Amino acid sequence: MATNPVGTAPAATETIEERFRRLETQWRAETGHLSSSSKIVGHPAFREIIRMGTVVIPLMLRDLEQQPRLWVWALPEITGDDPVPVAHRGDIVKMTAAWLDWAKEHGYR
Amino acid sequence: MERLEALFPRLCGTAYRITSPASDVYNCIAWAAGDTARWWWPGDPTRTYWPDGVPRLETLAAFRDAFATLDYDACEQADPETGFEKIALFADAEGRPTHAARQLSDGTWTSKLGLSEDIQHGLADLVGDVYGSVVLILKRVAPPSVLETKV
Repeated sequence: MATNPVGTAPAATETIEERFRRLETQWRAETGHLSSSSKIVGHPAFREIIRMGTVVIPLMLRDLEQQPRLWVWALPEITGDDPVPVAHRGDIVKMTAAWLDWAKEHGYR
Repeated sequence: MERLEALFPRLCGTAYRITSPASDVYNCIAWAAGDTARWWWPGDPTRTYWPDGVPRLETLAAFRDAFATLDYDACEQADPETGFEKIALFADAEGRPTHAARQLSDGTWTSKLGLSEDIQHGLADLVGDVYGSVVLILKRVAPPSVLETKV
């Protein structure tokens, strides 16, 4: 499936969460059928979300409280931290739990 | 259904069916391997699971070796054989692996579609622009638990 350019929507009135959700929707629509982690994290919308920086951390953590998500692949790049034990890498449920513990320790919850 | 058929046009008019909700927890390689707890891919080791000792390369050889850790070996044909489990590996035109499907006891196949749902389908139904073609069939002796469920 073709990858569409990101950031094409009018941004003047878009909130941070609206921009985040717009990019998430595009990312999931264009990579949701893929298994390649390199293609999933390399997608332009995913890269744009990471470039939004720390403002998206609470949004990602809120999603992780609902269910395990691949935001666990974005958070290390945004935070410069990685609380996931080596033995749990690739286990998205345990990676999610590690990031929610990290959130408590860092005052996000 | 329309979303899947747009991606995989050969599903149109077949008896395929969705067999699970979407999940970020596991992918097609994990599902083929019988693991619904981890995301199998040979990429960044901080993000994904890949069997110890197998090169983290997006090559057919590395994927064959990953399934060899589960006692799968290459075979010639995809037809069902009593007492054996089979996996089909898909690759793009450059030979890069894209997808894996696992054969069910009735000869149909089951696939986890990336972050999306599991489906039951015919093997050729997923051939096309997205996953490319089937490039390797693997098989192993079915573990006793699988044989019991087939009875």
